Amino acid sequence: MNAIELNGVSVRAGERTLLESVDLSVPEGAHLLLVGPSGCGKTTLLRVIAGLAAPAAGRVSLFGALASEGQRVVMAPEKRGIGMLFQGGALWPHLNARKQLEFVLDCCGTPRAQWKERVAELLEWVELPGYRERMPATLSGGEAQRLALARAIASSPRLLLLDEPLGPLDEELRGALLVKLHELHQRLRLTVIHVTHAPLEASDYATRTVRLRSGRIVDDTQAPGVRA
Amino acid sequence: MNRVLVALAIALFALAGLAPLVAMLPRIESADLGAMFAARNLELLGRTLLYGGGVALIAVALGLPFGFLVARTDMPLANLLRPLGIVPLLIPPMILAMVWTVLADIRGAPAAYAVSAISTFPIVALFSARAFERIDARREEAARLAGGWCAALRADLPLVLPSTACGACLAFVFTVNDYSIADYVSWLGQPKFSVYAAEIFANWRIESRPGLAVASAVPLIAITLGALVPALLLRRKGAMASLSGDFRQPTRFELGAWRWPAFTFCLALVAIGGLIPLARLFYEAGGAARGFELARVSRAFALAIERGREDLANSIVWSAAAATICAALALVLGHALERSRIGRALEALVVVPIGAPAVLLSVGVIVLWNHDWSARFYDEGGVVVLLLVGRFAAFAVLIATAATAALDPRLEESARLAGAGPVRTLARIVAPLLRPALVGGWIGAFVLALRELDVTMLTPAANRTAMFRIFNQVHFGRDDFVAAMALMLVFLVLLPGTLWSLFARRRLELLP
Repeated sequence: MNAIELNGVSVRAGERTLLESVDLSVPEGAHLLLVGPSGCGKTTLLRVIAGLAAPAAGRVSLFGALASEGQRVVMAPEKRGIGMLFQGGALWPHLNARKQLEFVLDCCGTPRAQWKERVAELLEWVELPGYRERMPATLSGGEAQRLALARAIASSPRLLLLDEPLGPLDEELRGALLVKLHELHQRLRLTVIHVTHAPLEASDYATRTVRLRSGRIVDDTQAPGVRA
Repeated sequence: MNRVLVALAIALFALAGLAPLVAMLPRIESADLGAMFAARNLELLGRTLLYGGGVALIAVALGLPFGFLVARTDMPLANLLRPLGIVPLLIPPMILAMVWTVLADIRGAPAAYAVSAISTFPIVALFSARAFERIDARREEAARLAGGWCAALRADLPLVLPSTACGACLAFVFTVNDYSIADYVSWLGQPKFSVYAAEIFANWRIESRPGLAVASAVPLIAITLGALVPALLLRRKGAMASLSGDFRQPTRFELGAWRWPAFTFCLALVAIGGLIPLARLFYEAGGAARGFELARVSRAFALAIERGREDLANSIVWSAAAATICAALALVLGHALERSRIGRALEALVVVPIGAPAVLLSVGVIVLWNHDWSARFYDEGGVVVLLLVGRFAAFAVLIATAATAALDPRLEESARLAGAGPVRTLARIVAPLLRPALVGGWIGAFVLALRELDVTMLTPAANRTAMFRIFNQVHFGRDDFVAAMALMLVFLVLLPGTLWSLFARRRLELLP
């Protein structure tokens, strides 16, 4: 089954066209790299998939279920089973690391008795085990991004959207986070859509690369292989 | 955003702020429309516009430099003078009029202009100060490298002036809709100073011509809305231009030899607007010209507490209830205004109660609720709370809108993707982040409600407030009692903001 199915999706902002009749099918378990110059519509495409932006026309289906048709949103964002890692993390500034994760666990119906164990597990996995009570303002860029990754997967999503997650990080941290993302993809068999304007650094892990220009798909290439 | 919640909030807002105005429209008769353009009406309207425009200009002349000096310079005691600069805005305008007409021995139009300018310059100062603080250091540094501090200031001004203009528009609206200053100044004797809001009041109360009262209010509403709409647009251009994530705080301008003259200017404004009036009230409470004694101050306060206890309690309870409803509306509507597609249209609707004269809102409430079936509500505090919500909810809503605009939408989007519905996202993510704005809206509504006189004059249930008691007693010449009551009211007005400043770590958001 396809995880994502876009048919003729167009998005407009006033007179400007952000996406023009985009057709895209992404099979389950794929790691798709979405590349292109700034302003070409990469983030808009992610937001349409997440239900955060309404298309002007077209159909969006997720795992076989209709998510939106034209301007009609059929499935609210919170019902789509999506995790998203935003550029810069977008951590909630008033909640500490533990509460960030507990909020997600609460929303997705995880029994309260399991929260402590699950929070510890997630923080352990992103290598922030002693950071339970730390506030976002006290974290470095890399730490904040790893906490945001833990938050994105806390609800056990089937689809993970990454919006330029490596942007603000230095080279060493980029490498470490990429390995984490790859590990996640392999372990959970998640479908990953990874937006970046620097495709080279992530291309080793991607199964497919889609290139956008001026709101249109101009290239769609299957990757030769994935680095082990 | 949850549509049911937003619909409920809109319904409550409309019931309190719009329905009374709409209820008045059928009262207009064709003769009233003709009378609208009578020479006297037009003359009053012209005078009122001149009055509002003049006051707004003086407010800019005082408020812009004050805002700049306290927010962005190394002037001595800038951090202390900044909060003190808000005090004139919080003191009821009629109390300022009471003090300064005696102290400066001024009457008529000059008194009204001076008192209104003192009362409204803090609005311009607050807007200007916020805009000066939101200039990214790098922009300013680029200008400094090109031509020093003067060039930096020249580069800053175009970024600040939209906010200053927004403050000036609000100062204009406050002035043309105020009834209390002109009424007090005219009550003192010749020369009288009549304004348009007083005419609307007279048409209702003295002439008993409600249709004429409404018809004559229409031009004033049109003019104030004409000032408010640009104000809203300007604030989006200026102060609400949200801070980007990598914002760098600007450094303070060095005043050099001008530090102390600047300090004297700001101190003089704070003294004229706040310290001297409060000192004068204290002096009045102690007997004033009859011989000041501290024992008399105690007696005046004891008398004020004994006779005014019920009025003070009513003022506190009704204002707090109204402020709480305003804050709840602010969270839901303020957020919806910024985030929903119909936000801009809703915003135009929300400002209508600000644009309408308070007297008209009050008359509308009488028309709407003075019936047998609603007698219990009309005769008790419920109607007062509704009046105050109608009058002031818009301010709280606009403050929350401005704060929402500065909030990164991704914080809400990530909550939605985590599985939180719109209500949970609003309660658990948005509300805590908007807390300074919601508390600011609460305090703003509470303060404005406590010092409100215009809407309380016509509705019988609202006659039992501290401000109305002061207004009544002024006319009976009870100076010591009035001074003590006024001081207690000012204390209540200043209390919430002072407590927040002392105990909260984040600065209160008080601006729309």
